[in-house]
Amino acid sequence: MPANRFNAFTDYGIGIGLRIPHYDHIMERKPVVDWFEIISENYMVDGGRPLAALDRILEQYRVVQHGVSMYFGNAARPNREHLKKLKALTKRTQTPWLSDHLCWGSVDGHYTHDLLPMPYTREAVEWTARNIREVQDTLGIPVAVENVSSYAEFHASEMTEWEFLNEVVERADCGILLDVNNIYVSSKNHGFDPYEYLAAVPAHRVAQIHIAGHTKFKKYLLDTHDHPVLDPVWKLYAHAIRRAGRTATLLEWDDRIPSFDEVHTEALKANRHLPHAEILAA
Amino acid sequence: MPKSSRRKPASGLEALQRAITGALMKPLNADESMTLANRTVAEKFIRPNDRLTAFERLQIYNQQYWWRLLGALAEDFRGLRAVLGERKFDRLANAYLEAHPSTSWTLRNIGSKLTAFIEANPKLTHPRSALAIDVARVEWARVLAFDEPSQKIISPEKMARTAPERLRLALQPYIVLLELSHPVDDFMSKLKRAEFSALSNAVSSSEKKRARTFAVRRSRKPVFLTVHRVDNSVYFKRHDPEAHALLLALRGGATLGAACETAFTGSKDSPGKCVAKIREWFSRWAEFGWFCEPPRK
Repeated sequence: MPANRFNAFTDYGIGIGLRIPHYDHIMERKPVVDWFEIISENYMVDGGRPLAALDRILEQYRVVQHGVSMYFGNAARPNREHLKKLKALTKRTQTPWLSDHLCWGSVDGHYTHDLLPMPYTREAVEWTARNIREVQDTLGIPVAVENVSSYAEFHASEMTEWEFLNEVVERADCGILLDVNNIYVSSKNHGFDPYEYLAAVPAHRVAQIHIAGHTKFKKYLLDTHDHPVLDPVWKLYAHAIRRAGRTATLLEWDDRIPSFDEVHTEALKANRHLPHAEILAA
Repeated sequence: MPKSSRRKPASGLEALQRAITGALMKPLNADESMTLANRTVAEKFIRPNDRLTAFERLQIYNQQYWWRLLGALAEDFRGLRAVLGERKFDRLANAYLEAHPSTSWTLRNIGSKLTAFIEANPKLTHPRSALAIDVARVEWARVLAFDEPSQKIISPEKMARTAPERLRLALQPYIVLLELSHPVDDFMSKLKRAEFSALSNAVSSSEKKRARTFAVRRSRKPVFLTVHRVDNSVYFKRHDPEAHALLLALRGGATLGAACETAFTGSKDSPGKCVAKIREWFSRWAEFGWFCEPPRK
């Protein structure tokens, strides 16, 4: 299960997001980290420090690319210039697979820079699957789509979020980046059972898992990536691992970023759940 | 299956995305709540739940949009924020983003039209418009200098063996040449020190820090500033007017000989002194790796 065609038959363990405040620590101390996830857009530039830093990281570590602005769910074709730069970066990083979000975010060339939730309609399934296929075909590497945290639902929706996810990945024949924190956040915001969601996910398509912290407000949860992972999310993660087997796991920490060691220690807590998965998978 | 977003009549998905995007890009009220003008869109498209109305759910995204973009702009234009003050900067930034929503997949380009916007809307930065323009130009130049591409440096041998009348040199794409009316480089250094000091003196009142604006006097003479990078760090370098003219001429495609002539036209310096200056400049600029082959036509 862990090494599958959606993560290019790799067997990655626990990784963390590569973030600028940790550059010096990583370059000087060269800590043992199984792999780093980079935000593709931060390195889709033509020169300077971002690429120089990335090249130094690539000398020592395995890197997987994660995007935030391909917007598979847009009612428009993918931006060709964006795709061209993304492809160039994949050649540089040799990322075995690449992920971005199951969302939309721009209209008529105007960008919201947000991961906006999809209306779960048949028309949206068509558009989204078509766009994923185009990106996958252009890049020539497996693509995994990540479920997002959401704070709104649409009248137009014709199915549940997990039904929509399943339809899209089947039609696009792509992988899933399963974000268990996002499932938890959305389940609280929309009142569904996160375990029902997990049970419906096609486990054989899970290429990677995300874990992260979120923030509780009075009337909703917000996906802030500025906290350690909360207990209910760890429980959901354990359940996901039981279903999918050992899977490349990545801790996201993007705001109020603590020391490298603190982030890494938090990520490695995922290990507590992995041996059990091996036993079950055996 | 949909093939093109342009030629087909608006689909349900397209109509929804266009309406929601329009709503998100409407500025927040002064108290950071969403404008009532978005009520119709919210109710038409968004389902309420037992805790939040459709309006409140859309408001979460509306606020995130503005906070994210305003934050990105404030990060890239810290100097502009310091000379205008927080309130005036926020008014400018809101007006700018309303007029120029992001048209790039990267927030790196969010400030690309800010200088032109300030020039076209001087009321928003009055009475410091000239200073605001200078600071915005320098801060955008810093963005470019940070990650624009670099080309292969031209070899000193090639420079030496080609006659000045035939030698054309391109400047590295990340170099920005500016003529300013304020010493923005000095101001940026002062700001950096002040920010560092504010970080080390966390006990001082944040209200006081917010209220502080920096005074920058207009320079008696134009300030010729090059924004560039060395070892992936961005630097400012001031130049004599002649050096600036020479670099501008080279960037414009002039040969080295023609660029030198342009630079020293009307100069009171002796020919010997001119040659000495050129040698000194070129030695420094070559050390910085500023010259590359011009693109082939």
